[in-house]
Amino acid sequence: MSETKTHGEKAFVLNTGRSLMQGISMEAESKWSEKYFNAVAIAEMNPSDIAKLGITDRARIYNENGSVVLRIRPNSNVPAGEIYIPMGPWANMLTDPVTDGTGMPRLKGTKVFVEQTNEPLTSLIDILKELGAKNLEIHMEDAPVKTGERRTVENVVCPFCGDLCDHLIIEIDGNMIVKNTGGCAISSAKFLNYHKHRVLKPYLRHQGKLIEVSLDEALDKAAEILANSKYPLIFGLASTDIEANRYAVELAELTHGVVDNTSVFCHGPTALAVQEAGAVRYTFGVAIHLADLVIFWGCNPLEAHPNHVARIVLREGRFIKGRKSRKIIVIDTRRTPTANLADLFIQVEPGRDYELITALRMAIKDLDIEAPSVAGVPKEKVLELAEMMKTAKYGVIFFGLGLTMTGAKYKNIVAAIKLVQELNEWTKFGLLPMRGHYNVAGSNQVSLWATGYPYAVDYARGFPRMIIGVTSATDLLANGDVDAALIIASDPVAHLPRKAAEHLSRIPVIVIDAKWSLTTAFADVIIPGAYVGIECEGSAYRMDEVPIRLKKLVDPPPGILCDSEVLRRLVEKVKLKKGVVYE
Amino acid sequence: MNEILIKNGFVYDPINGINGEVLDIAVRDGRIVDPSRVDPSRALVIDAKGKVVMPGGIDIHSHIAGPKVNIGRLMRPEDHYLTNKPHKLPHRRAETGLTVPNVFRIGYEYARMGYTLVVEPATPPIKTRHTHEELDDIPIIDKAAFVLVDSNWLALDLITEGSREFLAAYFAWLLSVTKTYSLKLVDPGSDVAWILTGRGIDIDDQIPSYNITPRDVVREMGNAAQLLNLPHKLHIHCNRLGYPGNYLTTLKTMDIAKDISRLSEAPALHITHVQFTGYKGDSWSTLESGGEDIAKALKINKYVTLDLGQVILGRSATTMTADAPFEYVLYHLTRWKWANADTEVESAAGIVPYSYKKRSYVNTIQWVIGLEIALLTRDPWRVVPTTDHPNAGLFKDYPILLSWLISRKAREELMKDVNQRALRKAILPSLDTEFSLYEIAIMTRAAPAKLLGLDKFKGHLGVGADADIAIYDIDPKELDLSRNYEKFVKAFKKAWLVIKNGEIVVRNGEIVKTIYGKTYYAEPSIPEELRKELDVFLRKKFKEYYSVSLDSFYIRDHELRNPVKIPIETKIKG
Ligand code: SF4
Ligand SMILES: [Zn+2]
Repeated sequence: MSETKTHGEKAFVLNTGRSLMQGISMEAESKWSEKYFNAVAIAEMNPSDIAKLGITDRARIYNENGSVVLRIRPNSNVPAGEIYIPMGPWANMLTDPVTDGTGMPRLKGTKVFVEQTNEPLTSLIDILKELGAKNLEIHMEDAPVKTGERRTVENVVCPFCGDLCDHLIIEIDGNMIVKNTGGCAISSAKFLNYHKHRVLKPYLRHQGKLIEVSLDEALDKAAEILANSKYPLIFGLASTDIEANRYAVELAELTHGVVDNTSVFCHGPTALAVQEAGAVRYTFGVAIHLADLVIFWGCNPLEAHPNHVARIVLREGRFIKGRKSRKIIVIDTRRTPTANLADLFIQVEPGRDYELITALRMAIKDLDIEAPSVAGVPKEKVLELAEMMKTAKYGVIFFGLGLTMTGAKYKNIVAAIKLVQELNEWTKFGLLPMRGHYNVAGSNQVSLWATGYPYAVDYARGFPRMIIGVTSATDLLANGDVDAALIIASDPVAHLPRKAAEHLSRIPVIVIDAKWSLTTAFADVIIPGAYVGIECEGSAYRMDEVPIRLKKLVDPPPGILCDSEVLRRLVEKVKLKKGVVYE
Repeated sequence: MNEILIKNGFVYDPINGINGEVLDIAVRDGRIVDPSRVDPSRALVIDAKGKVVMPGGIDIHSHIAGPKVNIGRLMRPEDHYLTNKPHKLPHRRAETGLTVPNVFRIGYEYARMGYTLVVEPATPPIKTRHTHEELDDIPIIDKAAFVLVDSNWLALDLITEGSREFLAAYFAWLLSVTKTYSLKLVDPGSDVAWILTGRGIDIDDQIPSYNITPRDVVREMGNAAQLLNLPHKLHIHCNRLGYPGNYLTTLKTMDIAKDISRLSEAPALHITHVQFTGYKGDSWSTLESGGEDIAKALKINKYVTLDLGQVILGRSATTMTADAPFEYVLYHLTRWKWANADTEVESAAGIVPYSYKKRSYVNTIQWVIGLEIALLTRDPWRVVPTTDHPNAGLFKDYPILLSWLISRKAREELMKDVNQRALRKAILPSLDTEFSLYEIAIMTRAAPAKLLGLDKFKGHLGVGADADIAIYDIDPKELDLSRNYEKFVKAFKKAWLVIKNGEIVVRNGEIVKTIYGKTYYAEPSIPEELRKELDVFLRKKFKEYYSVSLDSFYIRDHELRNPVKIPIETKIKG
């Protein structure tokens, strides 16, 4: 797997992913916290590699994109020759901004070098400085909460991941949330700490400092930036509601800019594949009642969507009697916690899923596979897998970023769709992307009905266009094409390769967020938003495209509006500034 | 400005029996009023001399919103590339897309043709919030949606148990919480079969895992619709759609109207896009039109109404339907892209791009069927024109479709280019029926309004009606439409002036204002005694069947942009 550089260092394959602690720390504390640092500023390697390199507790990890010093934790589930870093600013210093025309940066599978070091660990501030952050001060505050009347609200919907669990029971004391029953650990962290580490005031950056201003002043400045921009990027939108997404599209249309959502670095390639091949989908309930074979491919729901397995795999369905009547297969590059649940774990070499899918397509058609192993999987296992798929009554595949981000990217998904379409000649089979942010699926839906395209939509010529690799956020930023940015409920600095993030230091940036994201360090205007699903009602789409209405449980902090209302006012102001009004 | 006076136009208003008479139409506060009630010195006066004035058009079946439409958009980027129209703000948002246009084009295109009310005919309950969110974003037109029920496990359980009143109560609840207008059956029972076995079924086949047949489903749901007293009863897409020989299934389905315990003289069944289930012959190569048989059956069965699903030759289409097994078969014929979505407890959907070719034998037969049925029945109150957009054709081609009805010459022109072998098997070439402008106004305005039961305030220009008005720049007294059908097409593609809700939205065929219409939904009453029982039933079934909570299922009024509740006094007994 590894190769040797001329001067003797070993190259490793960088793998990134989400961990449970990452989600919890982000929601319970913030990305500026020690807890987040401990969860994300870390690398995992195979103990044999650690010994070989003589690493004590830390190492310098570097490549042509950048360099970081991180703590190293041994993990025998990480194959030798690979290194795993949770998604976040540290991993981003190393990931590759080149999207190969897919809009998707190479967040997995990048080559890095590793050496033992005694240098200090790279801090978050080190990284932000290196990216050219405009302000490193944050005004993190807790929203005022008071105990008082006690209430219990049932069937609350969780605004965190694409599972949109809607069976939560939330206990509220005054405006404090004191108990979350039914939600997973991340969900509890989110609800119980909703009031913490908030943006409570609008801010403008003035002479290098953030100053508190009125909402109207902040909106005016934001409108001025957008109205004067020749080509703004409006980005984020996966963690807010449908209504906010509608206004975001309208803003892009008004300003001849681009509206893009975070699917550009998660399941964007899945959408591209559907454009090419179609789709075979199912809702959760279909899997619950019928799936006797459940495959998790390149995803780790136990950590990223913690309730998912319990809701779908363990539940008893009409024609399936729960876990014992289902076979579970996990296909991944490393043995994840989800893999430990599986009846069969198939370890595929990083970036080579396409070969495995192709082999499966051949095997189900009884075509000969000549090679003794495919993508690191022995031929016998490929045949066994193909047989299990063909003979299932109703098979389902949930797939994640392991498939969209690596190797052939969207071609992986095209192949997977074709595999599933072909399997329908024998039996019933479906394929569903595990969507991350709770409304990223909804962002795609609004974008589709308003513009015809799922994301990365450009209005430069007054009508919608989607040119992936050009009008996608990663590319627009990495190439320095946009001259202003409006970031809504999202944190591109925590997700984008450094070259893309750096451009935010050079252009005016407006951030609308409930909490202090890393992107606020690049903001010229910061406008607080309230949380949909806690402080605002709004709708969102589950990963299987079932639309769900999120509830309002408590009032937003004083003076803070829902994202959709902030955007509605912004649209009005931009219209006035641009003279786009009826006479 | 909220007063408008339209003077001197030739008015076609069949509900009020007005056939091309020169009349003034007055508008105040969004309604039609008596001309004496507007002050001509203050009102905006429109001189419609030499022009045709009609109520706004109504489309009873067009797939304009919801999950399958959006998958269609997603899987057909090529549909948008060459169809863009830059925005003209603030008057008009940007438009894109041909077979699956964006929301803005849908609203604008209908408005430009003078249509002001459109029904989305198939929404799966669990995803209906999506359908409403899209409908809300379609500008100008009013809308409504039919909810899919034929493969609904809760409903099938109730039919199996034989609880007729309870089934009606469940439907009443379903319509009310999904904010939909009527019940839709698509290839009855077939999505149960599809999800369990990957195949569809015919009308007398057993529905897998249930001891009933699609015939039972149609009859029992028909009975429930009677109890519900729905203005539009059952909207049915017949079994075996798209298979040669399926006209027999259609005839059998029409026949079920006789077995329904009718509680009124109103139509009991509406068979939709009948063209797709009007195939005679036992294979594609021996395909023939079943149009004549269907026309005959309609004549002797007054409880059935039809819409055409007319094929438009020379156009591409994006077929999309809850008839998932049919789409799977079509995918095997086209071998390009296929999307399928299996939806828990309720339904499934398939989407496949397609294209209708003039030279194709099969496509020509399909084109013939719709026209034969329309011309042979010549019953514009019961047979209305649709293209089942975007399945058989695009709604934007309605003026072309109508030209084939008003002009034999228009048909003959096209017949020169179509598959001649197919024509030789058809009776269409011998038909000389030509519809009048009055009949066109019936088919596209009055009849759909009546079929929907909205004819109190839609589909006519009498006092009290909504001020939805289309004016076409064509002089029917000067022009022989049959000879000059191109002029008719031109005028109806781009209306001269369109008023929606009392506001001018189109001038000279161009959008001048973006406003948003209403969404109608039915709210049938449920007897108090049944409510409790219903609640227990729903709680139990949701726990057992659904992956969402019962609470999540409710779509509330405030979620919709402009909902209008149509309360219905039902005949459900407690
Ligand atoms: S699985 Fe996802 S949606 Fe469900 S409770 Fe956990 S974070 Fe929330
Ligand atoms: Zn249809």
